[in-house]
Amino acid sequence: MSSKFQALDSKNILLEVKNVSVSYGKKIAIKNASFSLKEKEILGFIGADGAGKSSTLHAIAGVVSFDGEIIYKNYVYYSPKEAEKIKNEISLMPQGLGLVLYDFLTIKEHFDFFRDLRGLKKAMEYETKLLKMAGLYEFQDRLAVNLSGGMRQKLSLILSLLPRPKLLILDEPTTGVDPISRAELWDIVNEMRNNGMSAIISTAYMSEASKMDRILLFDEGEIIAKGTSEELIADIKDYTYEGEMESKECFSFNKRTYCLNSLSLKKTTPTLEGVFFVNALKKSKKPIIFEIPKKNLQMPEIIVKANCLTKKFGKFIADNCINLEFKKGEILGLLGANGAGKTTLIKMLLGLYPIDKGELYLLNKRIKSYEDRIELKSKIGYVSQKFSLYKDLTIKENLDYFAKMHGLSVNETNKKIKDYSEMLGFSEYLNAFPKEVPLGINQRFSVAAALMHEPVVLFLDEPTSGVDTVARSAFWRLLRKLKENLGISILITTHYMSEAEYCDRVVVLKRGIKIVDDEVEKLHKKYPGLDFEEIFLEIYKEKNEN
Amino acid sequence: MKMSAILKKEFLVFFRNIGLVVFILYAFTLDIYIAGKGIKVTPRNVPIGYVNEADNLIVNKIISSFHKPEFKKPKMFLSEKALKEAIYNKKIMVGIVFDKEFVKNLLSKKEAKLQVLVDATAAAQAEVTLIYLQNILMKFGNNLKLPATIDIIKLFNPNSNTKWFMSLSELMSNITMLGLVLIAVVFVREKENGTWDIMLLMPVRGSLIIFSKILSQVLILMVGITISIGLIVFGAFDTPINGNLFYFYLISFLFAFAIGGIALVIASVSKSVLEVGHLTIVIMLPLIFLSGAWTPISSMSPFIQYLSYLSPLRYYIEATQDIFFRGSSFMDLLPYLGAELLMALVLFYIGYKKIGRLF
Ligand SMILES: Nc1ncnc2c1ncn2[C@@H]1O[C@H](COP(=O)(O)OP(=O)(O)OP(=O)(O)O)[C@@H](O)[C@H]1O
Ligand SMILES: [Mg+2]
Repeated sequence: MSSKFQALDSKNILLEVKNVSVSYGKKIAIKNASFSLKEKEILGFIGADGAGKSSTLHAIAGVVSFDGEIIYKNYVYYSPKEAEKIKNEISLMPQGLGLVLYDFLTIKEHFDFFRDLRGLKKAMEYETKLLKMAGLYEFQDRLAVNLSGGMRQKLSLILSLLPRPKLLILDEPTTGVDPISRAELWDIVNEMRNNGMSAIISTAYMSEASKMDRILLFDEGEIIAKGTSEELIADIKDYTYEGEMESKECFSFNKRTYCLNSLSLKKTTPTLEGVFFVNALKKSKKPIIFEIPKKNLQMPEIIVKANCLTKKFGKFIADNCINLEFKKGEILGLLGANGAGKTTLIKMLLGLYPIDKGELYLLNKRIKSYEDRIELKSKIGYVSQKFSLYKDLTIKENLDYFAKMHGLSVNETNKKIKDYSEMLGFSEYLNAFPKEVPLGINQRFSVAAALMHEPVVLFLDEPTSGVDTVARSAFWRLLRKLKENLGISILITTHYMSEAEYCDRVVVLKRGIKIVDDEVEKLHKKYPGLDFEEIFLEIYKEKNEN
Repeated sequence: MKMSAILKKEFLVFFRNIGLVVFILYAFTLDIYIAGKGIKVTPRNVPIGYVNEADNLIVNKIISSFHKPEFKKPKMFLSEKALKEAIYNKKIMVGIVFDKEFVKNLLSKKEAKLQVLVDATAAAQAEVTLIYLQNILMKFGNNLKLPATIDIIKLFNPNSNTKWFMSLSELMSNITMLGLVLIAVVFVREKENGTWDIMLLMPVRGSLIIFSKILSQVLILMVGITISIGLIVFGAFDTPINGNLFYFYLISFLFAFAIGGIALVIASVSKSVLEVGHLTIVIMLPLIFLSGAWTPISSMSPFIQYLSYLSPLRYYIEATQDIFFRGSSFMDLLPYLGAELLMALVLFYIGYKKIGRLF
């Protein structure tokens, strides 16, 4: 490692990564990654959970040690210590819902704090612009802990833009961010790029990835493909068919089926998502088949009925007189922008928030007192927005705890754990701790935990956020199976509008008000030729500020 | 069944937290050992004074037993008032008042009373001085009754008593601190990790969750106490026990629940483990101060003395010392046990109401 300075052949290359590897103990997170980034270029990282995207980003940002070399402009660095020198030009926003935030500081105080931390001067105009872009301008005095999941994410992002970095590194910045804000965030990044910034962004939204200048596909610690979105898509067009099917050999998701063997189905233009399925197939991975035995649970036609549910936080009305009827065996999608009041509504239904106004009936019974609530709890399953499981307990111990708390006997518990872990495909992880397994596994085992006591209704708050494509497709197949074979009702929130297609009915909230409650098919009829993301944006535009 | 599930979960979480386990082991063993061994509090040049209203040979003899190197030459004062003033001005640390009746009572084998005044600000020195004093006085008659504080430690042996006394004191302070922290943290950790909602959604009464969670930590404390008593108190220091160890466990158990009540209040207002730490320190200091662990209760101002009835630690310490050194019977311990039970009920009720609002 003699000379620290090297001439780069091409003038407009900002960053060059050469044979970079990162490992944690025995586990190799990324092996021999090599690529370059031009000035004003936006590079996208895509890949399954644990494929090595974050580790590569962390190596570049100089927050983990790595092997290999990284050249920024003309400066070569081999370690986090050497990277110190360029850190004022690089800004990293790590993955996770607002991890860099301090729960008990307000938005405004966060700006003050980060400005001081980075030794920046106050730039009123720029800061106001960022706040407005993120839609947080009106909420500057709200504590971070009281922000919705997506609002936290947006706050983290604009904080990372505060120092006006030359190179912006975003690790899944849009996880849990609504479609409208995702478009806005993209505009922010694009505008910064026009001012001379480059960016590396990892993302789980393929619609977003296809807007990047170039994409790197990560898989099991390696970069297995590079190119523009069109180039990557072209590679898989031979394997992409129209429509969905259930098969042991082929993956289906979002109205397409991916198969290596030729099928009698009609071929169609692939989407970027297909890259994951074709790659999985090439590695001879097979879709999980969920075998859920049929059961006939006795339950009334209407599972949940809510009359004019209202929740206020001080003067702020988070949910304004929401009426909701939730039928037996129905998958109901609860959609809406960040902060629209989805989680708040679910928490009222669950009894985690007291209801300020309105009536709630569960299984035809009015829920009023504490006693009613306890009974209610044994009928419902809940997976929270953060997959809240006990991180100090193994997956098996977690499940064991949930089952016992619901009064299952030791035998029943063991049987259920065995059954669910096989059905949902996580048996091999039973003795691992939640943080050691991919998010997709956590997601499935959280659902298993919520199903232990055979609830009649499941509330799932953004169960697919941050989960990779293949795992999401498996998850939706699971939900449909649960609905069909157990007849349970599922209320689910998501920011993947394409997933709304799998719901029977959707309810859309906007600023605490219900603006749509309709069957998905009917909405398609009403807005012919649009995909659901477009329908959603259309609805949100139409129902603008009454 | 559900209770055992909660207990099991809390134990697993506890043991997975290696740092905490190590700290607790330290607090129950090495820390107690160091406290017993480390601070050598033998009296050195303690300034002592007396008022002699009896003016008798026996008194002079008693006085002359206070000598170097432990004591400075005793100073005579003409009135109790003058003696008090000298203590107040830190001229002397211990003052003894022999009143007119003293010798008469002593000789007639009636109850002879001695008034001992101690500088409360030099607690450890004063404590140990009292023990010396007691031993000296013992030589002069068995029916000599002394103020309660001396009574408690009557049986101490001047050569090894400090470590017995100090290690038990330290143990009880540590139990107080750990009890507050452990119990508050089992609740606050759920808040911090975002599992609070999941906990609330269990089809179980809030009271069962609260009680089981506390019980899990109380059991951990009891194991810690056992390790400490076995390894350090009996093992390393060979402390004699004249009473029944079972009563010690009984009062420890009651005490843990009293502390648990306070911990619930801490847990209900804290949002993070760090906050628990801060609040614990703020609450623990007056608790220990009022208990007489540092300053003999009899040398506190009357107002503070009344306040000290509010410290659950007071009954715990007094009962423990009685059990170990005096060998008190159940009947003798009953007031302490009763008071501790009352404390446990009241504090637990308050804490339960407070945290119950979050359920
Ligand atoms: N405890 C609270 N105190 C004050 N405001 C709150 C509180 N909880 C939520 N809010 C506010 O209520 C609104 C609705 O929040 P909610 O979490 O229901 O949104 P959401 O629709 O789930 O959003 P996301 O998609 O980002 O998860 C937000 O503006 C949020 O800041
Ligand atoms: Mg939410």
